[in-house]
Amino acid sequence: MKHLITSVVMASTLISGAATAGTFRLAHDVGYAGAESLDPISPNRFFYANQMLYSRLVRQDENGQPSPDLATEWSASADAKTWTFELRKGVKFHDGSDLDSADIKYTLERIKDPEIDSPVAAVLGVIDSVNIINDHKFEIKLSAPHADLPLLLMDYRVRMIAEGSGDTITKTGNGTGPFILEELDPEGTTVLKANPNYWEGTPAADALEIIGIPDSQARVQAVMAGQIDFEDSILAQQSKLFSNNPQFQLQSIATGEWRGLVFRTDMAPLDNAKVRKALRLAVDRDEMLKLVSGEGAGTVTCDHPVWSGDQYRTNIDCSQNIAEAKKLLKEAGFENGIEVTISAADNEPEWIRMIEVYQQQAAKAGITVKLNMVPSDGYWSDVWMKHPAVATRWSQRPADQILNEGFRSTATWNETFFKNTDFDNALDAARSELNFDKRKGLYADLQNTLWEEGGALIPYHLNQTRVLRSNVTGLAPVENFSIRWHLVNAE
Amino acid sequence: MTAITATHSVPVTKTESRWAQAWKNMRRSPSGMIGLSILCLHLVVAVLAPWIAPYDWTLQNGYIMFQGPDTEYWFGTDNMGRDLFSRTLMGGREAIMVTLLGTLLAIVWGGLAGMTLGFVGGKVDEWLMRIVDALLAIPWLLFLLLIIALTGQQSWTLILTLGFFYGVAVIRVVRGATLEYVPRDFVVAAKTRGESRFTIVTKELLPNVLDALLVEAAMRWAWMLLAFSSLSFLGFGVVPPTPDWGLMIADTRGMISIAPWAVLFPAMALSTLIISINLTADAFAKAIGLDRAKAPV
Repeated sequence: MKHLITSVVMASTLISGAATAGTFRLAHDVGYAGAESLDPISPNRFFYANQMLYSRLVRQDENGQPSPDLATEWSASADAKTWTFELRKGVKFHDGSDLDSADIKYTLERIKDPEIDSPVAAVLGVIDSVNIINDHKFEIKLSAPHADLPLLLMDYRVRMIAEGSGDTITKTGNGTGPFILEELDPEGTTVLKANPNYWEGTPAADALEIIGIPDSQARVQAVMAGQIDFEDSILAQQSKLFSNNPQFQLQSIATGEWRGLVFRTDMAPLDNAKVRKALRLAVDRDEMLKLVSGEGAGTVTCDHPVWSGDQYRTNIDCSQNIAEAKKLLKEAGFENGIEVTISAADNEPEWIRMIEVYQQQAAKAGITVKLNMVPSDGYWSDVWMKHPAVATRWSQRPADQILNEGFRSTATWNETFFKNTDFDNALDAARSELNFDKRKGLYADLQNTLWEEGGALIPYHLNQTRVLRSNVTGLAPVENFSIRWHLVNAE
Repeated sequence: MTAITATHSVPVTKTESRWAQAWKNMRRSPSGMIGLSILCLHLVVAVLAPWIAPYDWTLQNGYIMFQGPDTEYWFGTDNMGRDLFSRTLMGGREAIMVTLLGTLLAIVWGGLAGMTLGFVGGKVDEWLMRIVDALLAIPWLLFLLLIIALTGQQSWTLILTLGFFYGVAVIRVVRGATLEYVPRDFVVAAKTRGESRFTIVTKELLPNVLDALLVEAAMRWAWMLLAFSSLSFLGFGVVPPTPDWGLMIADTRGMISIAPWAVLFPAMALSTLIISINLTADAFAKAIGLDRAKAPV
């Protein structure tokens, strides 16, 4: 009898005290038509898988500020041209090999390989060389002073891989992250299993499944039906579907994400800065935000990519001004208005609606907007940066990074084909400026230049509305790049 | 024009009186008359929609998004605050126009090809029918998506693509119907008179397979409407902001538990149109003495 009582007590203690490790399931949009790559710096990077397979040197804390990941501490020289990093000890790759400074040198130098043509090269182009001091200490030499290098290293793609693994990384996913690749199938289900040697401890979930579901509505239905545990492309309007339902948890987080329209600055008539300004002045951004994404679903932005939570954000008045838009069109020689065809697919629910709203708003200024619906399959490879005007989406990045990555003349993802030498020089000057106030002023000038001359229509930055099944634990209400995936579980 | 040429032994009924008889028969079918009434209503609404719609069907209003049906907005409003009644009235125009022209194309080319193959026979018929069989085996929706993805989704592309695909199915039906008449005396007589193949097909065979062709046209139209709406639902049919039932359903399906009216009304409009075509086609087939259930599909 005593034995039985002891067993019952032990069993109940186990049941009540230990959370059950489960499989956490989420979906992705198969935006690269199955060509998703596990190479973190590939243009076709497999976004979710790569976040879980690899670690960065520096990552965001809950406030978005740099905090240690694989690098435990760092310091800059007085001229901000040499940065020294201490590397975490005892970290192992999934294949069992140890992480050391040689891996970091290899990873950072590989980013600049012209054969890979990585979009990250534009972000870290300032790195001149990486010198190994010892196995767990290295220094980064810059070609020009950069006061915010740790911000650049927080980029979601700057993830460390093992020395010499560049040729195989696409398929192996051999990183130091909390999960290990078990099966890669971007169009079906990609399976990751917990990494028992992860430096922050064994992940809470046993496994993680990333399921390919291209249609955003289908993803919403999948989370409602319990086929996935997490979905982060919920419209603010759709939050009513989940609120007050005990089966779900909702999270709303201000982010630097945006959905926008892109006009190529190298194609007539969009090569005329006055035409582009007219296209922007025709927009009533508050109304667009409300109609497209829902009331309070974001923060109005004036066609520059710096979001409201960034220390370098500047405020511009970009109210709708139809008279000024008409005047600019007249000055540009389009007195009778112009016609613009914007290509978009339905991979993002906001795109088509945004164009529909824009059609009505722009019509008031004599701008005829036509929608060219294209297949979502292969949208990023066949349409984006090919057609004269397209819909786009970007995730959050620090000011310096996004301005360099999206708008520098030589950037791989310069989607507006904006070529402006003065702008490029100003970018260099801003990141080299060691005085914060002066640096902030320079970044403000860059944002103003984009508002006056740029080719992107960025009407607002979005709040991210996320829905989780009620059994999900450990997923804090922070923006995507700050999530600690090893804590997340679906019990 | 006669249904059966004079050489046939069966007494010939005059066409006018035959159609009058068919109409009389149809009027005796309650389901047929209900179907025909709804169909006519849809067609009238489609033609007059721009004049009878109470609001601008593209006008967005951020203050009345997903408003339920009331006296001001009879069908409520959608995710962009647009009047759903006006959009539902307008939503069938493109679908009906494209599918009617597509059906006409399918019937003309499929009918002519079917009659010609049935009449010519031999190796040509045998080989070409295998190609028809192969085309019929292709999953049509995937193939349509492929063609539209390659060529774009202008109305004429949709008409040609739908017309071509549905014409393939018509070939088989019409060829089957034609084979029944080819050995008949009036066709043999026409051959003996030295009539051209074209004359025999159009003057002798067409009047006799016309019944089957008309019923087939109605059936194909209903299927084509469904196909067109499926394409719109998938984002390959009508381009926004033009209202279309399939597109309206696709736009608001994610909110069905919050605003069911936004899905319900366009779905009802599409369903009633398709059902009305089927009811009319059934009644018409019976009225002219064709058993649609036995018709080769």
